Amino acid sequence: MAFRELVLEHSHAMFRLAWRLTSDERAAEDIVQEAFLKAWRKLGNFRMESSFKSWLHRITVNTAMDYLRKQARRKQFETEEPEFESVPMGTVTPAIDAQIDIRAQTEAAMMNLSETERSALLLKHFEGHSIKEIAQIMEMTTGACKQTIFRAVKKMRIALRPLVTT
Amino acid sequence: MSKITDDDLTLLFYGEHDEPALAAMVAESAELSARFDSLSAELRLADNFVPPHREDDYGADVWRQISPRLDLEHLESANRIKTWLATFSQPRFSLAGALSFALVAVLAFTLGRNGGQDSITEPLNPVNGTAIALADIDSNRLLTHSVSGHLEQVNLVLTQFANTTETSPSEAEYATDMLVANRLYRQAAASQGKHKLAAFLADLEPLLIELAYQAQSGSAATRERMQQEVRNGLLFRLRVMNKQLDKPQISV
Repeated sequence: MAFRELVLEHSHAMFRLAWRLTSDERAAEDIVQEAFLKAWRKLGNFRMESSFKSWLHRITVNTAMDYLRKQARRKQFETEEPEFESVPMGTVTPAIDAQIDIRAQTEAAMMNLSETERSALLLKHFEGHSIKEIAQIMEMTTGACKQTIFRAVKKMRIALRPLVTT
Repeated sequence: MSKITDDDLTLLFYGEHDEPALAAMVAESAELSARFDSLSAELRLADNFVPPHREDDYGADVWRQISPRLDLEHLESANRIKTWLATFSQPRFSLAGALSFALVAVLAFTLGRNGGQDSITEPLNPVNGTAIALADIDSNRLLTHSVSGHLEQVNLVLTQFANTTETSPSEAEYATDMLVANRLYRQAAASQGKHKLAAFLADLEPLLIELAYQAQSGSAATRERMQQEVRNGLLFRLRVMNKQLDKPQISV
């Protein structure tokens, strides 16, 4: 299949994944492009018999992780500068009105997961990968992958439980 | 089954639990059903984590953004190829080299097969006249190595072709050489049961034929169509196949 066709076929899914990892529309677009360029250069590492979708997701997750780490370093640097007003961790959530905004709270809950937990949960919940596939994508053991998903689910349930009863 | 944990229910929710009886147990137990319903309701809330909408042509937009950078990388490769091709002092080097490899590969396979052994112990004298001792050369590895070299040459020539607007007599010459070698390698691959590789080489042939016989006399539109075919699909498959040949654990 031509590379162009692969780009046309997988761009939407990669954008959704990148956005869910970063919660940043512009960053997600950049990550999709960067991931495809990396895929083009690393075609030799792709094994035909494995899923191309899984392989692309792996590159997308890694690219997004790199972005998030750079962002974290940048934020850390900024908070070390005395002239900038620092923002305490945990308060960086979207502005929410007095009314319960389920969407915003869900997003906040997702973004409060660690990058690894969020990646594993997204690949399971939204992309429908098996735990074995996620373990391969994230380069971890199946057992570690399971535990990561369990941790993410526990945190999400605690954060979202109040919304269920309302 | 021991006590059902929330982790078990999570696996059940995602269809990953390997205990077939669990679903029935949950259905039969009011307590387990309540726990499972609660977990399901909470996890389903995650579905509200909806990304911004992208238009249907988003993929095309991504392609427009990245394709110039892909072309740039192609051009860089093409420049390297020009230098590489310019170093050949003998115009038919490609044919001699390709035929040598092909002949060696075919003979290696034939001798290995007919002799009922996997290795060749008789020395051969291939096209270029150099005596080569082939003791202990595994016919399978030899073919793989030879085809890999062939695909590398095809890759170089097609990349050059895809990135130049002017026709060149050497294009047809190289394509003719490679067509001959390609057929030999295809037959050798088929004989060795490498059907995926043989099929891929068969797919290459029509383009090589066209390049050898029509690219020079055809219209600009024909050349553009062939270039698109090379850029959009063939180079991609070629690179993947060649890399797979480098990895002996991958069956081709």
